[in-house]
Amino acid sequence: MDTQRRTDFGPPDFRRFLPPVIKDNYGKWKYHEILKPGVMVHVGEGGDKLFTVRAGSPRLLGTKRIRKYAELADKYCGGHLRFTSRHNVEFLLTDEANIDPLIKDLHDLGHPVGGIGPAISSIVHTQGWVHCHSAATDASGVVKAVMDDLHEYFDGTKQIPGKLRIALACCLNMCGAVHCSDIAILGVHRRPPKVQQGLNKVCEIPNVIAACPTAAIRPSTVDGNPSVEIDESLCMFCANCFSVCPALPMADALNDGVSIWVGGKVSNARSEPMFSKLAVPFIENEPPRWPTVVQAVRKIVEVWADGARPYERMGDFIERIGWPKFFKLTGIEFQKEHIDDYRYAGLSYKRSAQLRH
Amino acid sequence: MSETNGKGSATPLLDELEKGDWPSFVTQIKEMAADGNEQCQQLLELLERSYREKIGHWKHGGIVGVHGYGGGVIGRYNDLPEEFPAIAHFHTLRVNMPTGWFYTSEVLRKICDIWDEHGSGLTNMHGSTGDIILLGTTTDELEPTFQALSEADFDLGGSGSDVRTPSACVGPARCEWACYDTLDLCNDLTQTFQDELHRPAFPYKFKFKCSGCPNDCVASIARSDMSIIGTWRDDIRIDQDEVRAYAEGGMNIERDICGNCPTKCMAWDGNELEIDNSNCVKCMHCINAMPKALRPGVDTGATILLGAKAPIVQGAQLSSVLIPFIKLEPPYQEIKDLAERIWDFWGEHGKNRERVGELMQRVGLGNFLEAIEVEPLPEMIAAPRDNPYVFYEEYYEEEDEEAEEEEPAAVP
Amino acid sequence: MAVTTEQIADAMYEMVKEVQGKKKLKAMDLTHAMIDRYGAEGCDKKMCKAAIRDLIDNDRCVYTYFGGSYIELPHEEGAASGG
Ligand code: SF4
Ligand code: SF4
Repeated sequence: MDTQRRTDFGPPDFRRFLPPVIKDNYGKWKYHEILKPGVMVHVGEGGDKLFTVRAGSPRLLGTKRIRKYAELADKYCGGHLRFTSRHNVEFLLTDEANIDPLIKDLHDLGHPVGGIGPAISSIVHTQGWVHCHSAATDASGVVKAVMDDLHEYFDGTKQIPGKLRIALACCLNMCGAVHCSDIAILGVHRRPPKVQQGLNKVCEIPNVIAACPTAAIRPSTVDGNPSVEIDESLCMFCANCFSVCPALPMADALNDGVSIWVGGKVSNARSEPMFSKLAVPFIENEPPRWPTVVQAVRKIVEVWADGARPYERMGDFIERIGWPKFFKLTGIEFQKEHIDDYRYAGLSYKRSAQLRH
Repeated sequence: MSETNGKGSATPLLDELEKGDWPSFVTQIKEMAADGNEQCQQLLELLERSYREKIGHWKHGGIVGVHGYGGGVIGRYNDLPEEFPAIAHFHTLRVNMPTGWFYTSEVLRKICDIWDEHGSGLTNMHGSTGDIILLGTTTDELEPTFQALSEADFDLGGSGSDVRTPSACVGPARCEWACYDTLDLCNDLTQTFQDELHRPAFPYKFKFKCSGCPNDCVASIARSDMSIIGTWRDDIRIDQDEVRAYAEGGMNIERDICGNCPTKCMAWDGNELEIDNSNCVKCMHCINAMPKALRPGVDTGATILLGAKAPIVQGAQLSSVLIPFIKLEPPYQEIKDLAERIWDFWGEHGKNRERVGELMQRVGLGNFLEAIEVEPLPEMIAAPRDNPYVFYEEYYEEEDEEAEEEEPAAVP
Repeated sequence: MAVTTEQIADAMYEMVKEVQGKKKLKAMDLTHAMIDRYGAEGCDKKMCKAAIRDLIDNDRCVYTYFGGSYIELPHEEGAASGG
């Protein structure tokens, strides 16, 4: 073993990578303006200007493409760039004249510029079939198909009343914590786990039983070996059991698919942060381009874009018009699954006679 | 090996995802597969198979890692190793990103060099928690990759039951609304809690996220056990000339600004904008809408909220208020002590896979506060309880009452 | 009763060995057990932390992950074998 081995030194200090204009104006920015879709300028107290060009990316990037980003940063930004929490890449410029040539190069590379202000930004998403063991759907493929359809809302070709944030998680683990998005696409299983032979050799049975939030798992004996059985009527397909025991697979080509949730947000602007709520309980997986999901998302976006007031987020819009009207306008069928039946379910029942007729 | 020439594409379904205007992840994998990168070639084929069969082909590994660390590596194996041997092991490394995701072209190339040499060349920039995700390598390459990364000054991020890689919004580096130095705090917490980040000792994961203002650009209130959200206590700074300029530019201040204020604490008479700051809840709406005219105050700090999580295990939660206002200056001792007190209680009483938010629910916020030595405040709740099943903790016995009667009342 | 980090590490190792394959222990389980055994005066969380680090750094135990992190004896990865 190498004697030089270092541990616990943490990430390199971010200050090493800040461009000079940021070092000079750190904590001293005065205001910003959106100059055009995907381009903004920040102005310092002393008048310095920093231009940002934001480009959409597929999140899954090969080193070849990252090297291309580095080239562009060298060519236009003195070698400086950053990424955003929504997987966009941002080029940081001081010379306004470089903006348009940079945008042209980005377009030539196939990257749209946009996602700032009242726009649909990139979809935050997870690994899906590319690399995840518990995925109920693919992630990158659905995202690609949805963004192909919505890119005009990203690049500013189409105007919208406010921000709209879409996120996708390929199972309830929600590595992307999608549960507070204007539109969330969530992979779901619909069949209880299949107990595999030899479970007791791979997993500790008490741990497996304890993993289930609804106590659907009970000890049993299979061919003389200790194992577990599932009370299917209690299973809500959360896959907690599979997380602690790989001998309880949930993935099922026939029954996996996605659900769509709407009206969540994290920002405190105007209304308080809120959870997304169920809009479409289930859509089958339709690789490679998930047309039903794409259409459903588009319909929801259009209903909101048509009806929302300036700045109004999806959740505020729906609260104003009421859920019955949301279902009517989107044409989504209201079903039993829409009504909560887990803990505190009653809190989401309508407890007044204030209705629109 | 796949047939891509003559007989048409080996990946007809994935090819469909190279069409359209949004940049394609399939193109990314193909670009890397182009000059003989077997891992990427086989990944394409395996993914094509998933697309055909509508099912994933990955298994979770529970043991692989780098020496001494319990986090930072996610083990992955495919379930068809004979057919796809180049990606039979295809582990992920989570590399702690520079706070704020700032890079120079030089350091980006360095990461690319390391990953071309030691892995598939595929990445996520970035993963959901914020780490640089190096996607796919063999068990044998894990230690050499870590070695090369450490020479370039990059350490691994968190995974498992540990402090996950903390993240922060762009903060004072490029945002006039940052009410504290999100980047510095995030970097400081990351460095302070290296042991907690690399050696899982908690009941489950713990996330810190630092947002500079209530717009919460890193979604801390939805995604972090400890959400640190910048705010201010004094008055919104107003430049009335700029307000008038927005009005002249066509903004409907009455309807879109005052009308959208959640507490209706603003008034516009066509010339001056007036704000009743004592009723402003710091929602950011008016400031977002008129960044040239309005700015947060100068007595800034943060609100600390606790307990957000995705649904697993007991259901999703948003963070709720723990400290209504705190000043945040280095060395940030108060917030670090608070985190340690929370971890102590959680380590003592948390069940396996129970997040802090779930523990808070299970024992009740009141008891939780007592345990971590924080006074209850009305800011912590939306409303007092409406259910009368109160767990009163004390009552008098008859003897006590007599004893009490004998004592003269302390307060007249 | 004063104990050394090495003694704690050995005792932890025995615990892990005894339940290997039957039950998974977390760092916290080991720590609680040691404080119970040796008493809070002789053995604190810091020492337990050091003992765990010692076990891992000397390859006597490894961290594992199955929906949560555990401490086990080094063994073959189940998922690594075919099928
Ligand atoms: S999927 Fe969830 S509800 Fe169903 S058995 Fe497993 S743990 Fe229980
Ligand atoms: S920040 Fe929000 S609450 Fe405060 S004055 Fe502006 S709109 Fe009203």
